[in-house]
Amino acid sequence: MDLEELKTLIEQCELDGNKICIKNSLYDIVNILKNKYSYNLLKSITAVDLGDETELIYNLYSTIDEEDVILSVKVKNEAESIIDLFDSAKADENEIYDMFGISFIGNDDLKRLYMPENWTGFPLRKDYVQDDTRLAWNDDTDNA
Amino acid sequence: MNYLYHLYIEFLLNHGIPKMFGDITFFILPFCIIAFALLIVVLGLVLAERKLLGWFTQRKGPNRVGWWGLLQTLADAFKLLIKENITPEKSDKFLFNLAPILVFVPVMTVLCMIPYSSEFTFVNTSTNVILYLLLAAFPVLSIFLGGWASNNKYSLIGAVRAVAQVLSYEIPMTFVVLSVIVLASSMNLTSITLAQYSRFGIFGWYLLPCVVGFGIMFICTLAELNRCPFDLPEAESELICGYNTEYSGMRFALFYLSEYALLFVSSVFLAIMFLGGYLSPFGVYLSTLLVNDSFMSNILIYFEQAFWLILKSCLIIFAIIWIRATLPRLASFDLLKFSWTILLPLSIFNLFFMVILKYLEGGAICALF
Amino acid sequence: MTQTTLKLNLGPQHPSTHGVLRLILELEGEKILSCEPDIGYLHRGMEKMAEGMTYIQYLPTVDRIDYLAGCFYSELFCRTVEKALGITLPERVRIIRVILLELNRIASHLLWIGAFLMDLGAVSPFFYAMREREMILRYFEKLTGQRMMYNYFVFGGIRKDIDFLEDIDEILRILPSKIQDYERIITDNPIFLQRTKAKGILEPEIALNNSVTGVNLRASGINYDLRITDKLYEGFEFSPVVLEGKDAWSRYKARILELSTSMNIIKQGLDRLNENKTFEQKLINPLTLKLPEGEFYSEIEAPRGLASVYIKSTGTETPYRLKWRTGSYYSVNLLRKLLVGEYLNDAIAIAGSLDIILPEVDK
Repeated sequence: MDLEELKTLIEQCELDGNKICIKNSLYDIVNILKNKYSYNLLKSITAVDLGDETELIYNLYSTIDEEDVILSVKVKNEAESIIDLFDSAKADENEIYDMFGISFIGNDDLKRLYMPENWTGFPLRKDYVQDDTRLAWNDDTDNA
Repeated sequence: MNYLYHLYIEFLLNHGIPKMFGDITFFILPFCIIAFALLIVVLGLVLAERKLLGWFTQRKGPNRVGWWGLLQTLADAFKLLIKENITPEKSDKFLFNLAPILVFVPVMTVLCMIPYSSEFTFVNTSTNVILYLLLAAFPVLSIFLGGWASNNKYSLIGAVRAVAQVLSYEIPMTFVVLSVIVLASSMNLTSITLAQYSRFGIFGWYLLPCVVGFGIMFICTLAELNRCPFDLPEAESELICGYNTEYSGMRFALFYLSEYALLFVSSVFLAIMFLGGYLSPFGVYLSTLLVNDSFMSNILIYFEQAFWLILKSCLIIFAIIWIRATLPRLASFDLLKFSWTILLPLSIFNLFFMVILKYLEGGAICALF
Repeated sequence: MTQTTLKLNLGPQHPSTHGVLRLILELEGEKILSCEPDIGYLHRGMEKMAEGMTYIQYLPTVDRIDYLAGCFYSELFCRTVEKALGITLPERVRIIRVILLELNRIASHLLWIGAFLMDLGAVSPFFYAMREREMILRYFEKLTGQRMMYNYFVFGGIRKDIDFLEDIDEILRILPSKIQDYERIITDNPIFLQRTKAKGILEPEIALNNSVTGVNLRASGINYDLRITDKLYEGFEFSPVVLEGKDAWSRYKARILELSTSMNIIKQGLDRLNENKTFEQKLINPLTLKLPEGEFYSEIEAPRGLASVYIKSTGTETPYRLKWRTGSYYSVNLLRKLLVGEYLNDAIAIAGSLDIILPEVDK
């Protein structure tokens, strides 16, 4: 499927390179892509901290058409979950929650994955180093 | 035994030692010999297994301690001796300590019942075979005790598996033993051995009419010993070490020791039941052929008989180790299914066949030998 | 009498979790009611680390993502940087990379075969597989000076020209007969068949839905091999191994067959090396290396499934964000589904058949 064709399918979106930036509901679009256009493999979900918001990049692949599609959505602290569509999203969303602190609506199973249960802060956020009081260079007497 | 007794007393009297001393020691001495021999056998077996496994997997095996690694097991045993005995805090301490001691008693007892040569059986009862069957199944009790008392989930699963396994494999084994008893018309191990005597040596063995039984018995022995491919109770990739996960130091060594002692005993038992025990495979003892002096050859025969028995059991042990190097482990349910659906019917059929054979014994078949 | 279930902690120190995976199993007897993988015992923060390192500083660490197949992650990272800088590799360098990647894949699969059979309780195949793997590791040691973390690929080329080709010839000569030996001792062994046939059935839909890729997916009947479309493998002729069995046995068989595929590729590579004798590189000065602003993504068929890296650069010496996608991570999460309803000893076989390696999971 052509990118331009996809663009007509999805209202309110713009192309950024080969990436489709979505403005409206992500769940609906992934649903259409999966069920109508047989994009059956979710390769990965990548989160990028852009400062005031976080970009989520979804790499979808169709093993039937052998084509990739990359979706991008910008969120604040909450995002839509797609675990109903892809089981693997559970793992990806959990990782993003652990590292970026983004909670996914519809995924109740979010918990700390790599970091200890009682860890504060989200390591892959850009403001993490400044915020974390346990690091040696952040002298904070409260937490000693 | 009487013959040995007279030799022994005569020997003592010649050296000026009173007969009473001989009377007392004659019944204690064998147990000391057995205990000592058992240690040597186990040390040898452990080394043999490690060497053989090494060769099967294209390694050298232990070769650092002593010449050709001969002292390796001794070093390992010493290491186990000086290790700390850890008792888990939440274990049932009495049972936990009892289990390794209990595992050793039946094995020692069984060793005393084996006819090593025609005059060398310490405990010779008329129902040796039944006694063996009882005692050989006994270690599973201490396995269960140890596994339960450890208060460890892996140990518990291992122990439960061990009980299920021994229970289901004991039954076909008993049927096969029964068929041998029918053939020999005796429950005494010496009589069973002698019943396999023929002028043609190897052709008199029960292996020939009862080859199916031998196969079943061999498999059951593997299962009862918890050896590969039936090593589920201590499957290391699943249960870490199964029932003896929590054991350390000397207690672990006792489990280990008894395992190998039982391996030896079981293979000897197999050799007696099917491979003619201490009988020569040629029908004639070599020492009578080679040594002209009748007194000397009479003495030598005892050693030769013991040699044949040990050789036969060594062959069986070799096969067991070979199997360990080759086969993966069975799954637990396949294991039980295999026993109940294949081995049990087969062993009953085997018994039936042996009874018919025995009925025809007056006829032509057995008269051949 | 109340009936309770048994909670069993499989790992993180357990002989058959291949590292530090922890599976929290709920057992009823030996039947598994639920399985919850707990990961993170080997987390080294590869992604965070990248944000504070220049590209050349980060390059040696990427081998550690999968210590059994380090070449693949090296190649993946180099490839992304080259893509960003617009470098196309010279022919000879490309072929050398393919040869080393496939050698690495063979080593990785061999170790898996040994470890899998060890999980099933067979001792010998492990040593046999290690023996053949040793030949390959020796070769890598000779060539790169390292047995596992090679750090041999650099941006725009490789550290030095390939050498000791006779050793590769020797490996290719010996390996087929050894693989036949494995097949003889393992493949048709009735106990092995009983333990792996129809065990751990992974339906293709479930596999795709859980993002399982690589050999595990191909053993479920879906023809998805990135090497086919990979530019690196251009000009090499081979067909991916696709089996329809869906069970643990097919996953084993697929890996055995992949050994031959890899050997076939190496053979072609060796032939083509003779045609491309001139060794030239397109090296760049790594000390002043800055990636242009933008997002760069590339992927590769690693032994444990699709691996990909995403780099976002803002034009500085260090990446702004770097994300690894590894195959094992999704295989571990698949266990949650695959192990339910199985018995404990089948669970070990099934988990083993997925070829999970923990540094790849934890990153």
